[in-house]
Amino acid sequence: MKKTILNLSVVGILFLSTAFSTLENKLVSKSGHVNFFSHTAVEDISADNYKLVSTLDTETGAVVFSVPMQSFEFEKSMMQKHFNSKKFLDTKTFPKAKYTGNITNLSDINFGEDGTSTANVNGELTIHGITKAIDETATITVEGSKITIEAELSITLADYNIAFAKGKPSTNIAKTIDASIKAEFN
Amino acid sequence: MRKNIFKWGIIIIISGLLIGGGIVLYMFNQPHRDVQATKADYKMEAKQLVNEYLTNAQTSNNKYLDEEGESKIIEVTGIILEISKDFNNQTVVLLKNKDDNAGVSCTLLSTANITNLSIGDTVTIKGVIRSGAGYDDDLGLYEDVIMEKSDIIN
Repeated sequence: MKKTILNLSVVGILFLSTAFSTLENKLVSKSGHVNFFSHTAVEDISADNYKLVSTLDTETGAVVFSVPMQSFEFEKSMMQKHFNSKKFLDTKTFPKAKYTGNITNLSDINFGEDGTSTANVNGELTIHGITKAIDETATITVEGSKITIEAELSITLADYNIAFAKGKPSTNIAKTIDASIKAEFN
Repeated sequence: MRKNIFKWGIIIIISGLLIGGGIVLYMFNQPHRDVQATKADYKMEAKQLVNEYLTNAQTSNNKYLDEEGESKIIEVTGIILEISKDFNNQTVVLLKNKDDNAGVSCTLLSTANITNLSIGDTVTIKGVIRSGAGYDDDLGLYEDVIMEKSDIIN
């Protein structure tokens, strides 16, 4: 009797582990950082966001970053308000920005071994309700059970219908801003 | 006489510039809103807030989000399912019932007292809403309501 229970539990554990292994390829992270930086002769503006949700599928190479726009924090309250306003990112209408992409050189990346590799990611970025193709390289670092993905991209604001014809923002905000994104999967 | 008009003209222009400059400087350096010192706009169960979003995200965004990012301050009550740290080393408390699809994820201020927090406790947390809950097809999962600048108030 005892043996049967033991056997059953072994079978159960084996069954569970195979059932979960199909899900295990898709990693989910709520630990990440997005920064953007705008440089002009007049001033430098930087904002940080730690509330992104990311997924990385090590089997298919699919990566997704979902970024709640109102979580960007600026040093100056006034800049934060401008950023959120209808004139800029209109975060009430478009509360999230999203990147969906696929690693095209998946065979070059060994998720099972410690090390750093460069991934070519082809995908689409949606900001302010507008979607544009963005192909970038990302750095993937494997450290034990932790996988970190990092990328830097430059975003031309006019591509996403964010444009200032006149006034202070047109001189103080760069036409192209630098964004960096990092997510940790454990 | 002419000299006097000239003198007063200069004084008026200079004081105008000083006042104007002062206002601009004040606006520019205006501090961020203190969420904890501001009265809550809503008091509700975490589950209710999530359900409103899952029922109609558009209506909920109109209700809770602000055009300039100064969105509604909410006191949510719920059961702690998870306590974690984010990339900025801030404590994040997830209020969610085990069987629910989504919950309310509250990022606490560094000043929040977290020593007595345990999973399974029912707590009330006050914070500012940043985004709503919903199923995201690309992520393939439900996203939680995000609240920041939060503190445990009960």
